[in-house]
Amino acid sequence: MKSALSNYARPILFLTLVVFIAVSVLSLTYQATKDTIEEQQDAKIKSTLQELFPALDTYEYQDSLYTIYSQDDTIGYAFLTSGKGYGGNIDIMVGIENETTLKGILIISQQETPGLGNRITEDWFTSSFAGLSLSDVFLKKDGGAIDGITGATISSRAVVDAVREAAMEKIKAIPERTQAKAGDLE
Amino acid sequence: MSRLRKEFLKGIIISNPVFVLALGLCPALAISISIDNALGMSMGVAIVLLGSNIMVATLRKIVPNAVRIPVFIVIIASFVTIIDLLFQAYFPPLHQSLGIYLPLIVVNCIVLGRAEAFASKNPIFDSIADALGIAIGFMLALLLVSFIRQMLGTGMLTVFGKELLRLPGLASHPMALFVLPPGAFLVIALLLALFRRMGVLKNE
Repeated sequence: MKSALSNYARPILFLTLVVFIAVSVLSLTYQATKDTIEEQQDAKIKSTLQELFPALDTYEYQDSLYTIYSQDDTIGYAFLTSGKGYGGNIDIMVGIENETTLKGILIISQQETPGLGNRITEDWFTSSFAGLSLSDVFLKKDGGAIDGITGATISSRAVVDAVREAAMEKIKAIPERTQAKAGDLE
Repeated sequence: MSRLRKEFLKGIIISNPVFVLALGLCPALAISISIDNALGMSMGVAIVLLGSNIMVATLRKIVPNAVRIPVFIVIIASFVTIIDLLFQAYFPPLHQSLGIYLPLIVVNCIVLGRAEAFASKNPIFDSIADALGIAIGFMLALLLVSFIRQMLGTGMLTVFGKELLRLPGLASHPMALFVLPPGAFLVIALLLALFRRMGVLKNE
């Protein structure tokens, strides 16, 4: 009887103990890496914004919109958006100068096909967005100003559409923000 | 010592996890589009395999048989999660490009396979030699597949953003099929056939 009990009890206790140790080790690792992971993410955002706005001194993040300051002047806004590509989501950082003009875009992450769709990360493609007015953010074959990538229309269009649609959405928030800020100063 | 050397060397060719045991094919097919990914993935697998083999070999005499597999899985999953957090903290670009395949090491049958088939029956040092051999075999296999796919599929060889080699003609008109999933199956199937033809399997 006693041996039957220990036959059942031993595996249960052993597994519980193993799980307990595993959980403790994991939570220690999580605590130890948490700050570094956050720093890495902040540093990545800062360097991305700096690439879009070389004059950036500081930035402020509120309601998923980055406001970019050079000294005390607002020089633009930026936000993250994502488009549905061929291989998954394409995350894009979009910089806008004002309500109508793009400053530039950067592809943050993507899983497009190497050699085809992943050419959206190449400089000639992303830099063709710089300075465009929002109404021109279409592929050339759709009547806009951007050269699509040969053989990767889905990926190119995903980027173009995501940038335009998100920008249209975000600029609505800008005037209010500026006013709110002016109101704060009084 | 020669026994350890044998356990170490067998993983590289005689029981190469990918080409001979045909284990771990899922990550081998999915991430073998660039040398960077191959290196990152095999580094992850190597650390997990080493850690789990050591733990399993240490516990092999006291693990109750009935909960053997759950215990192994908990050990493996813990190592994978630790690796995932460490990569996220210290190698963010690599973490990004491996994506879901890093956490999926937990279901990589090489790791559980070695725990069950080897480490649970052998002493610690043999298990370390086994883990290192298998990990290197896996790395060589991934590098070989990635090299072929990257060369044919993009026409160039880039490692960590540095362009090492560019094939004229192929770079401007790459055979994109090879970086797509069908290319993975083709390349791995041909390599498996080649290994069989060379008679590597004879000793099994």
